[in-house]
Amino acid sequence: MFKNEEMEINLGPQHPSTHGVLRVKLRLDGETVVKCTPIIGYLHRGVEKICENKTFFQGQVWTDRMDYVAAISNNLGWAEGVEKLFGIEVPRRARYIRTMLTEMNRLASHLLWLATHALDIGAMTVFLYTFREREYLLDLFEAFCGARLTTTAFRIGGLREDLPPGFIKQAQAFQDIFLDCMEEYETLLSENRIWKKRTVGVAKINAEDCIALGITGPVLRAAGVPYDIRKAFPSAAYAEMDFEIPTRPEADTYARYLVRLAEMRQSHRIIQQCIDGLPEGPVMAKIPKILKSEVNEVYHSIEAPKGELGYYFVGEKGGTTPYRMHVRAPSFVNMQALSKMVEGRLLADVIAAIGTLDVVLGEIDR
Amino acid sequence: MRLLKTLIPSDIAAGLALTGKYFGKVFLSANRKKVRAHLKHFTQEYPEIPVRLAPRYRGRLTLLKDEQGEIKCVCCLACEKICPTEVITIEKGKKEGRKMPFPVRYDFEMERCIFCEFCVESCGFDSIILNHQFELATYNREDFSLGMEGDGQNMFVPSPVGKYSVAED
Repeated sequence: MFKNEEMEINLGPQHPSTHGVLRVKLRLDGETVVKCTPIIGYLHRGVEKICENKTFFQGQVWTDRMDYVAAISNNLGWAEGVEKLFGIEVPRRARYIRTMLTEMNRLASHLLWLATHALDIGAMTVFLYTFREREYLLDLFEAFCGARLTTTAFRIGGLREDLPPGFIKQAQAFQDIFLDCMEEYETLLSENRIWKKRTVGVAKINAEDCIALGITGPVLRAAGVPYDIRKAFPSAAYAEMDFEIPTRPEADTYARYLVRLAEMRQSHRIIQQCIDGLPEGPVMAKIPKILKSEVNEVYHSIEAPKGELGYYFVGEKGGTTPYRMHVRAPSFVNMQALSKMVEGRLLADVIAAIGTLDVVLGEIDR
Repeated sequence: MRLLKTLIPSDIAAGLALTGKYFGKVFLSANRKKVRAHLKHFTQEYPEIPVRLAPRYRGRLTLLKDEQGEIKCVCCLACEKICPTEVITIEKGKKEGRKMPFPVRYDFEMERCIFCEFCVESCGFDSIILNHQFELATYNREDFSLGMEGDGQNMFVPSPVGKYSVAED
């Protein structure tokens, strides 16, 4: 009477909880996932090839459009990568402001992650509360560089302009209320039994698998590996900052949630240190008008909200454009964990797994 | 202990208390202006009330004139060269009684513009700015091609569609 047959379904590319245009091909046995194949490429724009035809100065606008929820982190990677290629020293004040804005962007990115992840799982209130605080940060970005998402915040050699008047006051106002807001999210989620049922023990991936697949960021730290580029290879002003790397041993979705929340508290600490210890001085180094590279190659990576974001540049002699540019996108590498996380689990866990990986398709497809 | 925790839904009650607190704040203050959710207001009644924009907001590209009504642009082509999406086209020309070159044509293809402000940054003569307009959608594709002539799509005046944008400067 009952046939036992495997079924193949497509999750996406227009599914609202795939966070963009991710298509996941699932083989289901009843409600259990037998095989999971993510299919990417629906948002491919050829950023790496375009950047080979644009100067080092111009290329930054394409980095905004890769990880569009953490554009400032991408800008930082590009700017520091190019500075490394040319050996440019950035003034200390510029490095502090860069650090502050990057950490604000990490908060904005994690807030958006918390909002959408909770929304996928079914908690709508958190979405409204986190977007309220994110709005505050986006207003700060608009005050600093004139745009909310596609920021193009930094320049090769420093910053375009100093902080606008009133920026520090506005940032301090945000700092003052943010920890209370964090407590609100925790009240809503941390002990909530529905949230725990949907996340505890779901989408597990252990440390060995993480390292073998090259997974970085909060997913790796939630597996108990204290690896953070900000500590391991400090750039900007991270070497002068005092912060911790939060880790959890459980390696499930709930642990990743706790790690990201702890990371937000650390970001809050770093922003406070930047505000308090902001040095005086110029914000732009003296650089030639036209940058001409030598035969050289550099790889520079920073800790983006999603994990290790690396820029690889190859310069040719007298070239004003990179000979080759490659981006090591954290979402792209972290995406590999999806099949390992969900195979043998229930279909509903796939939604939680995609949410907990915090992928941005603009960065995966580039 | 675990059974007690399962029976008494204190975790759900804590969340409900929080949302109830916000609900009460809105419900008790009949005047919406009085609602303060321990932050400032973030929702704006946008089409009715114009949006407050930051002074550095990046809107549409505009050519500037000096006090005598002369175009400030001297055709150094810096903006044309720096533009990442190549939306600016300038044609050099001469004008009587003016030493510096004069732009005969200054075309701006707004549909490809990404509003990065690199052109304004590269300009050594402060002859272009990005204004505070963001409502730039039109019904015709041709309306995105801005030039120095014509009344509606002119590089000197704000676009007619920007009814609700504010120019603070």
